[in-house]
Amino acid sequence: MKKLWLVLAALVIASLVLTACGGAAAPEAPMEEAPAEEAPMEEAPAEEAPAGKTQVRWFVGLGAGTDEGAIPLEEAFVEAYNASQDEIELVLEIVDADNAADTLATQIAAGNAPDIVGPVGIKGRDQFKGAWLDLAPLIEANSYDLSGFDPAMVDFYLVQEEGQLGIPFGIFPSFVLYNIDLFDEAGLPYPPAEYGVPYVDADGVEHEWTIEYMTELAKVLTVDANGNDASMEDFDPENIVQFGWMNQWTDWRGVGSMFGAGSLVADDGSAQMPEQWVEAAKWTYDGFWNSWFIPNGPYGGAEFLQGGGGPFSSGNMGMIQMHTWFLAPWAFDGTTFDWDVAAMPSYNGVTTAKMHADTFGILKASDNSEAAFEVLTYMLSEEHATDLLTIYGGMPARLSLQADYYDIHAETNLGGKEINWDVIAAGMAYADNPNHESWMPSYLETNDRYNETWNYFANTPDLTEEDIDAEIATLVADLQAIFDAAE
Amino acid sequence: MSFFEGVELIKKDRAGGKRKLTGAEKREARTGLAFLSPWMIGFLLFYLLPMIASFVFSLYDFNPALPDEAKFISFENWYRALVIDTEVRDSFFRTIHFMAISLPITLAFTLFLAVLMNSEHVMGKNVYRTLFYMPTMIPLVASVLVWNGVLNEHTGWVNVIIEWLTGIEAVGTEGLRWLANPKLVYYAYTMFGLWGVGNGMIIFLAGLQGVPTEIYEAAQIDGAGWWRRLFRITVPLMTPVIFYQLVLSVIASLQYFLAPFVLNDGTGFPEGMTRFYMVYFYKQSFSFFNMGYGATLAWLMFIVALVLTAILFGTAKYWVYYAAEER
Repeated sequence: MKKLWLVLAALVIASLVLTACGGAAAPEAPMEEAPAEEAPMEEAPAEEAPAGKTQVRWFVGLGAGTDEGAIPLEEAFVEAYNASQDEIELVLEIVDADNAADTLATQIAAGNAPDIVGPVGIKGRDQFKGAWLDLAPLIEANSYDLSGFDPAMVDFYLVQEEGQLGIPFGIFPSFVLYNIDLFDEAGLPYPPAEYGVPYVDADGVEHEWTIEYMTELAKVLTVDANGNDASMEDFDPENIVQFGWMNQWTDWRGVGSMFGAGSLVADDGSAQMPEQWVEAAKWTYDGFWNSWFIPNGPYGGAEFLQGGGGPFSSGNMGMIQMHTWFLAPWAFDGTTFDWDVAAMPSYNGVTTAKMHADTFGILKASDNSEAAFEVLTYMLSEEHATDLLTIYGGMPARLSLQADYYDIHAETNLGGKEINWDVIAAGMAYADNPNHESWMPSYLETNDRYNETWNYFANTPDLTEEDIDAEIATLVADLQAIFDAAE
Repeated sequence: MSFFEGVELIKKDRAGGKRKLTGAEKREARTGLAFLSPWMIGFLLFYLLPMIASFVFSLYDFNPALPDEAKFISFENWYRALVIDTEVRDSFFRTIHFMAISLPITLAFTLFLAVLMNSEHVMGKNVYRTLFYMPTMIPLVASVLVWNGVLNEHTGWVNVIIEWLTGIEAVGTEGLRWLANPKLVYYAYTMFGLWGVGNGMIIFLAGLQGVPTEIYEAAQIDGAGWWRRLFRITVPLMTPVIFYQLVLSVIASLQYFLAPFVLNDGTGFPEGMTRFYMVYFYKQSFSFFNMGYGATLAWLMFIVALVLTAILFGTAKYWVYYAAEER
């Protein structure tokens, strides 16, 4: 009887534990695949659409494009495309961002991969490293003209050992976004409206626009319930009601890039923590727990910092670093304060304004790469790219479209608000290279690991510089283990 | 012929060696198998085959995003899990740590609630039973999110009540951070679990109602008080039900996943404390796409769960009382 129970228990446990990881056939032996350079020029027979058209599936979910407002616009774009075509039918597949990566991986594994994926940023792309088609042969075969883009942006998508994985589409420079009302209330002049000029204080004294000086402003903008600011002796850090600075919605690499571009991967492939990113961590920790001008973990959930677009939208945040994709209705709907944009401050004489860039990729597993490329060129064309860029809030990578972008974007998304677009455009010259979202071995696992240390800093008071150094040393060792396992 | 007489006959048959089945017995056996076959086919297709597949996966370096690059690597995944990857061990001990806190509290609370609901002194028992059972009707994800709000250090009413009752500074940034303090987080997660004890309560209640009342009456006549009756009659006679609940709870604890995943997306916040084994398994398999390694982790958990269950069954003879079983 007991044996029977034991066997039954074993089966139940086995079922419960193991079925989570089963469900598919064993991996097949590697199939022979045409090398990327020899992408099939002749279209493979595809699933026939009713009118005999070739279906091209467009997968949306790894980046922007899944929010409620974007979907009808994307559907309209697809409808317009299909109305203009005799041979290709574009099929839109929108998957919620939370499930998109799993869905796409499952589709690829099941041999049911979509053709076009995007918009996708560097992070989303590198999550599927090795799965993207090198577009160079298609660009060459179709004589696709890349001269309309900044060559640096074209090279941005040229990945070693993988090829040209994208054609520039939308770029999202970063800048300082500040709350005008809070500056006025504190009696502070606004941050510099262009790169290379100093900050002029209320007494007319010029100061170099550095992170150090920006920190001083942030302290003045951090206010407690009694009206004292963080530069005052009577400041009460337990009752803060307004903060001065935040690198909103980014991670260690994003914050680190403000202190200088870098990578967690050394030239020899080993794990490292760039010196300037160590400084960034210490500066942020000071902002969390000693100078109090950055919201730490406990303040992260405070009601006065909640807004549609995060802390800045609450109206209780003086300045943040942000990208152009934030300049959208969802971030500012219902807000009553005025805002503007300014130049990023420098660190040790070097200014870095991290950059996000989105594009569309074609998967290696696509059966219709030629047709997919044709759709891609339509999406990125001078005539139609703006339609999509307006949906996603991106600045056109195509140079000829940039001049009109600002007016169209402000009119469409921000009710015609006047914004200092010049400083945003100028920020492109200070883009981080290597990009803060660039590839690392075992991308998401590495990401998880350094976020854990960052969260530890955000939630743990009273750490000394030595403690921080020790945590970073542990982190680097752990990252090395992750890198080794990924080999 | 009673069931027990039938069992005795089968035992005699076995003792006397195999005998040939008669035609009627063969037909009966075939009919029995036909009735069983849907379950057996389902088990083979949806359980056994995936189990075998997952073992095969464990011998591969397999990323579903790059299926063509799947590579047979023998037992490298096993070696990594057992020797190299310290997070496997750490996440397992976190799970055991959490189980050591939550399981006794949950079982004791559930039994306490069932005893209360079985008491003749409680009025309106059916109403209470319904009320205590109702939270189990709410999807677990929803209740975790509700608890996330209830335990919020700034606005959650748990902290507000604690501060109001005790004067301790429980609200605000310096307050009780149930879900962010490594020392409190397991207790907070245990509270989520207590919210859903309705099912366990019903099972305990069924067990309690199966205890013959004449035993209580005899004990009462002999002068046994409430506590003595509880520990000398109720608990011993309830041990089969407690054992059943214990086995299921141990397996469920080893698979603890949902709350940390819903609250923190499996990041392990705070300080990795909530990166339990199954969370790590999920991240490796479905976030990092290390499907082969994930399959290895699943098999390891299966082996651990099997061993723990076997140990529990091994101890059962010392403390579980089956009235109908020969001792």
